[in-house]
Amino acid sequence: MKPTALLRLALAGTRTDTLRVVLTAVSAALAALAVLAALTVLAIPVPAGFGPRDGSDAWADQYTSALLKEPGLRPGVAAGLLLLTIPVLALAGQCARLGAPSRDRRLAAIRLAGGTPRQAMTVAAAETGVASLLGTCAGLVVCLVGREVMHRPDAEGRIPLPTDVLPSVPALAAAVLGLPLLAALAAAVMLRRVIVTPLGVTRQARSKRSPRPWPAVLIVLGVGASLALEAIRKNYEDSGDPAFVSPLPLLLLFGGGLMAALGVVLGTGWISHATGRVLHRFARRPAPLLAARRLLADPWHGSRTLAALLVAVVFGAGALAVRAFFATMLEARQEVQRFYDEAAGQETTGGYGSDTFYLDAMDVVDTAVVVGLVIAAAGLLVTVAEAVVARRRSHAALAAAGVPRSVMGRALVWQTFAPLVPAVALAMTVGTLMGRGYFGAEVREGGGQAQTCDAAPALCEENFEKYSHLIEVPDVVRAVPVPLDDLALHGLGVLVLVAAATGLGLLFLRPGTSVEELRTG
Amino acid sequence: MSTAAHVLLALLAAGPQHGYDLKKAHDQRFPKTRPIAFGQVYGTLGRLERDGLVEKRGQSREGGPDRTEFALTDAGREKLRAWLEEIETPAPYVTSTLLAKVVVALLVNGVEQARGYLAEQRRAHTARLRELTAVKTDPESSLGDVIAADFAIAHLDADLRWLHTTLDRVADLHREVHP
Amino acid sequence: MTLLQARGIVKSYGPTPALRGVTVELAEGEILAVTGPSGCGKSTLLHCLSGILRPDAGEVLYGGQRLGTRSEADRSRLRRTDFGVLFQFGQLVAELTAAENVALPLLLAGKGRREARTAALNWLERLEVADVADSRPGEMSGGQQQRCAAARALVTEPKVLFADEPTGALDALAGERLLGHLTRVAQEQRTSVVLVTHEASVAAYADREITLRDGASDPTGLGAYVPAGGRP
Repeated sequence: MKPTALLRLALAGTRTDTLRVVLTAVSAALAALAVLAALTVLAIPVPAGFGPRDGSDAWADQYTSALLKEPGLRPGVAAGLLLLTIPVLALAGQCARLGAPSRDRRLAAIRLAGGTPRQAMTVAAAETGVASLLGTCAGLVVCLVGREVMHRPDAEGRIPLPTDVLPSVPALAAAVLGLPLLAALAAAVMLRRVIVTPLGVTRQARSKRSPRPWPAVLIVLGVGASLALEAIRKNYEDSGDPAFVSPLPLLLLFGGGLMAALGVVLGTGWISHATGRVLHRFARRPAPLLAARRLLADPWHGSRTLAALLVAVVFGAGALAVRAFFATMLEARQEVQRFYDEAAGQETTGGYGSDTFYLDAMDVVDTAVVVGLVIAAAGLLVTVAEAVVARRRSHAALAAAGVPRSVMGRALVWQTFAPLVPAVALAMTVGTLMGRGYFGAEVREGGGQAQTCDAAPALCEENFEKYSHLIEVPDVVRAVPVPLDDLALHGLGVLVLVAAATGLGLLFLRPGTSVEELRTG
Repeated sequence: MSTAAHVLLALLAAGPQHGYDLKKAHDQRFPKTRPIAFGQVYGTLGRLERDGLVEKRGQSREGGPDRTEFALTDAGREKLRAWLEEIETPAPYVTSTLLAKVVVALLVNGVEQARGYLAEQRRAHTARLRELTAVKTDPESSLGDVIAADFAIAHLDADLRWLHTTLDRVADLHREVHP
Repeated sequence: MTLLQARGIVKSYGPTPALRGVTVELAEGEILAVTGPSGCGKSTLLHCLSGILRPDAGEVLYGGQRLGTRSEADRSRLRRTDFGVLFQFGQLVAELTAAENVALPLLLAGKGRREARTAALNWLERLEVADVADSRPGEMSGGQQQRCAAARALVTEPKVLFADEPTGALDALAGERLLGHLTRVAQEQRTSVVLVTHEASVAAYADREITLRDGASDPTGLGAYVPAGGRP
């Protein structure tokens, strides 16, 4: 049996329901792992009372990674891990659409038998809840087993991961039970638009008006928030105003990010509609015309399928901008260091300009972005496959009418890529703007005066005061470049991922277009 | 040879019977058709005997007038078999009175007047359908009753369907002529 | 005594009118056939009568009470307690066994599983499909499925049974068997039945018949004939 035939059989009938439950459970397990990891990081004990100013007494020296050692960095690590749950939850949301028609029939039958709307909704939410609970329990088991397996201290007794601590039992319970509850609630909210009547399931008619470019306001607000953050920080540096320590910056950071991401996702509806119109105006061949019609008929389809991916792209572009900032900062610091060293008559050493801590941290962030993109692409694969399977009757009818399968495949490719390319471009622009907004478009190092000793090192050791003198340190101001190459690579990577997901999804087209499909229910 | 003659042959296939029993058996097997007359039974039996398809088989006088038992001959058995093997010409019932009346009503009175007659006819058909259906659902009914009722229902149903189609067709035609 | 009453029911799907003012009454224990060609609005009338759809105008009275003013949940409960619904096909839950399907309304009403199963088996017995109690709908014949669906519609001992082309997907004998069961049970329990059908031979099971045509009742049953220059 061919793999596609195997898949087709596996997806037939109520097995689709099983698949949905399994995928929901897997997503829940992944999300639980991320949450448990974040909780574990936060569970690393912080000794009471800070010692020296840098707080090095409070460092947890048993870890190899600086991100875990420093208590001040751990909330950031935990937040990063929690952010990873977003694409995972988006994946779960896309899985929930799998096999929806047969579930809808079941819900309608329940309503016909006298079930109230609330009962039908509860049935649907319970499925999600139970599947998620199975998943989070599995996640907990994996976490506990992983702790034991990965607890490998090196020669100095240091461990790469915080396998020596465990979150408190209430925290564990909250993660394992809270996630399914949240998932069930989310399912119930998603079903709010869905009216299960005894005669079948109808989705509440969305307003027939075509999408408007209003989400642009959200994007502007989000980017504005990042610029405001920069202004606040400048203000703090100038005045020492303690307002900077208030939760306002955090609010601006997360609120702004969320708003901009939401704006991009919602804006895709308008982009889909606009590209559909343009395509319809200029396309002359059947495949793009079919795609244009579908885009115009359901412009929100793009928002739904690409949501997670676009959020990941925004974060990725932001991360690239931040990396560019740190790289520029490193260069500027190296320059300042070079100046010191020259003033001291030494070979250049690198000094604090060689501290790659931030760039290392960005590597971690980049890994997270790639993981997020791959998960989002998996979600896209699920959606494409689902769209092909759900439309198999109309595809089979087209095939029966003599439309070549290649035309249908091309239509699907057009339908995916026509809105995707501008949407990804928008997401990258927004991400870059925000990254630059938060951290600034220029780096300022050096400046002021410094005392340096240009005598022989031995003399300097002996009497620094005597042999040293004041020098003017030049201002090193570097503009942070827009990392065009990296962005291009990033965009290309996204397109390749989507192409791979769509290509895999198209495999479902072959069994999906057999004329036999016209005979089945 | 008539259908009734073949039915009598078939009833005799079970064993020799008197003319009176034959009539009773006939009416029991075909309860919803018109009962067969004694005269017809004896007349038919006479013709069958003349053709050598049945033969007299002694007489009995138990508590009644002279009763002659009839039995199927080999020739009769052969004749019955041949009749059953012969396929009926699938002729439509073009001689139906209903058809004649509808056509005449449309011709003579025009559509509007014909509808009155047709509505009454439909009511009668429906009422008869209901009676026959009651026979079918009655647990006391014999298999013969149910089969006969089925036969009648199927034909009445076909008549009704034809009636509706005819009316629709006439209405369409009318609409085309008088838009 | 009039159990269910509809007055001047109007219902449209978008710009398409399905019912344009239909008035109908159903007496207790009466079997009423609603006939007419496809698209005449007979299914829509049944959906309005059973409270599945809310009419645009006019009102449905059940036991003297207006259905339209009740909430969706309330009408669902009514469907569970006082009404039974039987469609042409597809109302059974494919993933559940016959017994579970029949027990479903009782379970939704909050009855215990054991009690619901006992009642379900009893009804499957009455409709002569007890042998498939533990089969799923996919493993039964069409006739068995419809009798299971009938058992589910009757398990709550409803006052009114709504049947929409219940024999539409069945062959003549299976259909006859189902209708025989339905009429027998209706007589035994004094259940009123609204039987929607386009077949005269099915409508003949009813005590009374109304015919719809283009969303309005058609007293002659002959269909809409438009005479020259006027409405029928």
